[in-house]
Parts: sequence; structure tokens; C-alpha cells
Amino acid sequence: MTQTSTLEVTTPSDVRTPSPRISTSRVLRSEWIKLRTLRSTWITAGALLLLIVGFGVIAALTVSGDMPSDPNQPGPPSMATDPVSTVLAGANFAVLIAAVFGAVVGAREYSTGMIRSSLSAVPRRLPVLWGKLASFGGVLAATVLAGVVVAFFAGMAVLDASGEATLGWGDDGVARVVLGTGWYVVGLGIMSVAFGFLLRGTAAAIGTVLGAVLFLPTLASALLPDSWDAVLKYLPSNAATAFTSLTSQADSLGIGAGFWVFTAWVIAAVAAAAVALVRRDA
Amino acid sequence: MIEVTELTKRYDDVTAVDGISFTVPPGIVTGFLGPNGAGKSTTMRAIMGLDRPTSGTATVNGRSFRDSPAPLTELGALLDATAFDKGRSARNHLLALAATIGIDATRVDEVLELVGLTDVARKRAGGFSMGMSQRLGIATALLGDPQAVILDEPVNGLDPDGILWIRTLLKDLAADGRTVFVSSHLMSEMELTADHLIIIGRGRILADLPMKEFISQSRHQHVQVTSPEAARLRDLLVGPGATVVSTGAGRLQVEGVDARRIGEIAAQHQITLHQLADVTPSLEEAFMELTRDSVSFHGATTSTHERP
Repeated sequence: MTQTSTLEVTTPSDVRTPSPRISTSRVLRSEWIKLRTLRSTWITAGALLLLIVGFGVIAALTVSGDMPSDPNQPGPPSMATDPVSTVLAGANFAVLIAAVFGAVVGAREYSTGMIRSSLSAVPRRLPVLWGKLASFGGVLAATVLAGVVVAFFAGMAVLDASGEATLGWGDDGVARVVLGTGWYVVGLGIMSVAFGFLLRGTAAAIGTVLGAVLFLPTLASALLPDSWDAVLKYLPSNAATAFTSLTSQADSLGIGAGFWVFTAWVIAAVAAAAVALVRRDA
Repeated sequence: MIEVTELTKRYDDVTAVDGISFTVPPGIVTGFLGPNGAGKSTTMRAIMGLDRPTSGTATVNGRSFRDSPAPLTELGALLDATAFDKGRSARNHLLALAATIGIDATRVDEVLELVGLTDVARKRAGGFSMGMSQRLGIATALLGDPQAVILDEPVNGLDPDGILWIRTLLKDLAADGRTVFVSSHLMSEMELTADHLIIIGRGRILADLPMKEFISQSRHQHVQVTSPEAARLRDLLVGPGATVVSTGAGRLQVEGVDARRIGEIAAQHQITLHQLADVTPSLEEAFMELTRDSVSFHGATTSTHERP
């Protein structure tokens, strides 16, 4: 209670230190505090890490047990066909958790009512979205990156110990697949944050991301005639397949094209969220 | 200083606020009074930049609140008492908001102390009672030591002690030279805190005047007279300084002539009186009278909830 009148404060001669001013970096710090002070953040991040590493190691153990040496022997239908896919088996489940995680981060403030406090403190609004994306993206990227790298080396060690075929980090395309898988998980998480802002409800955002992004492509390719494949390969999850698999399939996009198409989807979702955030009544 | 100019806000086909203009000056408590659904919350949300006006403007210290270089220091608001995450502690909630303008934990602890939440500051806010939530909302509003505060129904959910505390706080803030804009649907609450009144009904400003003026306007006494010969009595009473209004069959409302004189005149002319009573309307009645035609939701006996 140091200010005495409105006039005094707005007079240029009134110098107060340190001056409390808003800035994007300060809003980013604010969003980081919000993210780290929720218990669910750390539970989800921990679950994600455990899942990626755990499933990778379990998949490697399963392969070691079930398929001793003959690569021509058919495995279970869902079983991965190359060692990198095997050790990254957890990523398939990680995208589900990342989608839920992102949707919660994006929509939670709308369901709790916190958004009104946040936008009152940051009436320009957009920095809140950038801050949320940056802090969430940072936590998710660190978790997923650690997960895929540990899963890769641990999984390969398991395969190696039982005399299975392995691939090294330096082998052709391996680093690209490991990091690409990481980007797929993080990118989907970011898309989910965007959908959380767009739909303003956790359930709706989770439903949309899981339904439209993950299940729709499978459903569409099953129901639509083959002539649609040229279009379907541009869907986010199909585009991601191009850069997350070691061997490219005939009907999918190229590695670079797949990366950019998927990244474009992420950017488009974020752009839509930004427009909605600025335009709509809070 | 808060200035609202020709503000209109429509939601689909409902006009919540219809071209209103008013100014909230610093240094006094300005009460924003209106029945439920009159447009109070919409107006406050428009000032905060939470709702985009359909037309017109709302400015804080001469500019749109969106353009404020340090929003929390310029305008603090309590729009609803649940605008926080129940999974976070009160202290962390305030720390996160404080960070947006680079203010530190010292100020956070200060406002927690001010609203009396120090003891529960590190507990998850999910367990807060209505009164504690309200206090956290007030702490949020005061966090940036703002030049102006907007409080929507601040006494909701507070116990008598808390209500008294809010009244004192509002007066202190105004005495400090701040702009204080507080809404209520209760005249009785305004009577005790507000220096100036802006009354809104059905999205339009019905009155914008100092509290004292509203009181002197409303508190004028009149005399209620019922007589079978009302018409004859009226002709006898009408004269310089006296107004007589017929309010029903055999009923008169008289101003400017006191009850004793009316009784004497009636006796002189042998007019039977069935009732002769001094009436002093309460401020609540004056307010009700003013907003009678503009209450949006008439219940059977009471009015319904305000639109969120």
C-alpha cells in the first residue's frame, strides 16, 4: 500500500524500483510455477518415463524369449519387426499419456476457473498460451527424450545379452527414428494442449486428440477405398510413421516430408488455439 | 480511473449491456447496484478485458486494460471466488500470478497475512470453505497493490466478521486514493460502504449519483391517506408546495403536507379517513422502486440466480 493516488503513479517523474512490469519471460515463469506446483504434472511425467523405458525393456525381453534366432519365424502380429521398433514399443502407449497430459494442461484452467485469474493478470492473453506450451513442452520433451534414449540403450543391452540382432546409435537411421519417435510423442502432447485451449474441456480435448488424430486414420484406411491413401498419408499419425520407422513403406510420405507434414499439423493446432484464445470471451 | 463509454455487449440475441456510459473516479467507493441479471458482471468482465464488447469501450487509466504494462498493479479483480485451481496451494496460486509482473514472495506473504490465510497458505486450496475462497479471491485482487480494484459481490459467503472486514478494507483502499468499484444486489450493503452509486437495470444505467443525493431523494416522506371521499380531499389538499397522487381507489399519496395538517383539514370538512400514515421508504424500497421494471427474472416469490 505505497501508492497514494492514480495521478502520482502515472506521472513520469514517479520512479519506483524495482518496477513491476509484465513481460513474456515473466509470464513463462508464471506458467512454469503453475505447472510444477501441480502434483499431477510429476505423476504423469514419472508414469511416462516408466512406461517408455519399461515397455521397451519388456518388449526386448519378450523378443529374446520368443524368437531365439530365426528372423524368418513369424512373431505375434503386433510384434515389432526391427530392433529399434522393439525397444521403442513404449512410445505407442506414451502418445496416449502425452495426449491426456497435454489436454489436461490446456483445458484444466477452464474447468477450474483459474483461467479468469490468469487472463486478468495477463490481459493480452497470448503469453499465457506460449508460457504453457513452453513449460509443458520442456517437461514433456525432457521426459520423453530421456525415456527413448534410456529405452534404446537398455533395450539394446537386453537384446544383445540374449544374442539377438541389435542396432547401434550410429547405424543408418537409428538416431533419426529414436529422436523422431520422441518428437512424435512431444508433438502430439503439444497438439493436445492446443485442443485443450480450443475445446476448453479436458474430456473433449482428450477425445478429439485420441479419436481424430490416433484412431481416425486407422478407421479411415479400413473403411475408405485404396484411392484415398494418397490423402490419408497426410494425416498426423500417418505422416509421423514416415519418420518414426526405420524402413519406409511404399505408400507413405518420405522421411523429410513426413516430418514437415506432422510438424505443420502441430503448428496449425497451436495457431487455431491462439486465434481462439484471443478472439473469444474468456 | 475507470471509464466506460457507450458499452454494449450482446450474447447471441441477448443484450446484456445496452450502450452504457459512466466513470469510476479514484478516491471513493463506487457502488454498482442492480438486480440479478442487470448486467453488472458483464460490465465488470468487459472492463477486465475478459469479454470483448460488441461496441463501445472500457478503459482503465485512459487505456484498454489489455495494453497495461503491468496489469496486476493497475487493476485487481475479484469476479468470482472460484477462479483458482483446487489442486494448488493458495501461496503457489499467488506466487504464479505474482510472477507475471516480477513481484516476489514477500508481497505474496503480505497479502496472505492481510486476508488472514497465512495458516492455510501451503495447503491445497481444494479444501477451502466459501469464506476462505472469497478471501483468496481478495488476496488475488490485492496482489499487485493495484491502483484500482473491481470486486463483484465481495461479501458473498463471508461471515459477519468478514463482511465488516471487507467494508473497512474498501474504505481504506479508497482513502488511499485508489479507484474502488464494487457490485452488489443489496442496497443495504451499498448504503454502508459506497460514496457513489451507479444503478443498473436490464443493461441500462438507471441512476448515477452520489450516495447522499440518493438518500435525500429517496428519504422524502409522504403521507398515505385512504378515504371514501378521496377526490374531495385531494381538491382540498392541492396547493402550493403540495403534491397529491392518486394511487388507487380511495387512496392518496401526499407530499408537502404533513399528516397532522391533513387530519385537521379532513375534520374541518367532515371527511371520513380510513387511514392516515406517515411513510418513510427505506433505501431498499427506493432501489426496488427504481428497478421494478427492469428485473430480468421474476420468480414466484424471489428472483432467480444471476447468469454466471
